[in-house]
Amino acid sequence: MHLPFKTSPLFQRKKDIHSLPESEQIRLAKLDHRYFGVLYEKYFDPIYRFIFKRLGGDEAVAGDLAQQTFLKAMANLGKYEDRGLAFSSWLYRIAQNEVNLFFRGEKKTRFVELGERQLAGVIEEAELSANMSQEDQEKLVACINALEPEQTDLIELRFFQALSFKEIADIYNITEANAKMRIYRLLEKINKHWNQIV
Amino acid sequence: MRKFKINKNPKEKEPSAEQVKRYKDFASLSHQYERVTKRSGKRLYQDPKLFILLFLLGLIAFLIFLES
Repeated sequence: MHLPFKTSPLFQRKKDIHSLPESEQIRLAKLDHRYFGVLYEKYFDPIYRFIFKRLGGDEAVAGDLAQQTFLKAMANLGKYEDRGLAFSSWLYRIAQNEVNLFFRGEKKTRFVELGERQLAGVIEEAELSANMSQEDQEKLVACINALEPEQTDLIELRFFQALSFKEIADIYNITEANAKMRIYRLLEKINKHWNQIV
Repeated sequence: MRKFKINKNPKEKEPSAEQVKRYKDFASLSHQYERVTKRSGKRLYQDPKLFILLFLLGLIAFLIFLES
């Protein structure tokens, strides 16, 4: 049986869409949301992992927020413009907003566990005493918790999620130098606060 | 609201491949997208019954206008 749509360029493209450059995949996804599947396949894993870690390991909520992230990305894909910023950064930004909205909406305080290894970066970069007791570490965590939520996010992304300055800059749509400056100012603030309480 | 707390033996923070796979479902996302973006109901002029009703109302109004 002859199926005319099978010869359409859109159908032909569906077969080899995986081999197309990302900009072309995005263009096709803007035309028809079903083509978004290729981008979803490519980025679901890193986005899910990012959200999972930010939530401190809550897999079900991470799954919901990851789907929500992609739903918003699909709905707003028309607004996405390639201005030299990676598509993944745009997705991370949506995911970051989704997680923040989730935390803001929580009535109870949600505790995210940190290991000593994750704190080590803050201790080193803020030039704090290397040999910290358990009590000192708790004080340091209290210092971090006392920061504004946006500031805590920066510390978290850099030291607990181990993102590079470039990745952080892309998420916030700022320059790498600006991201570096913001984080080092925060470390200075933590250092000052630390010296006041110890 | 979110707060950090220190734990000597924190849970593994990397999800397993199984966990990731469990939540990866483009079919459901696509379905959700269609539901969210679908227009609610048909437009008036696309419904034959409503179209006839509107047409008759228009006709009556036109006849009344001619009579007066």
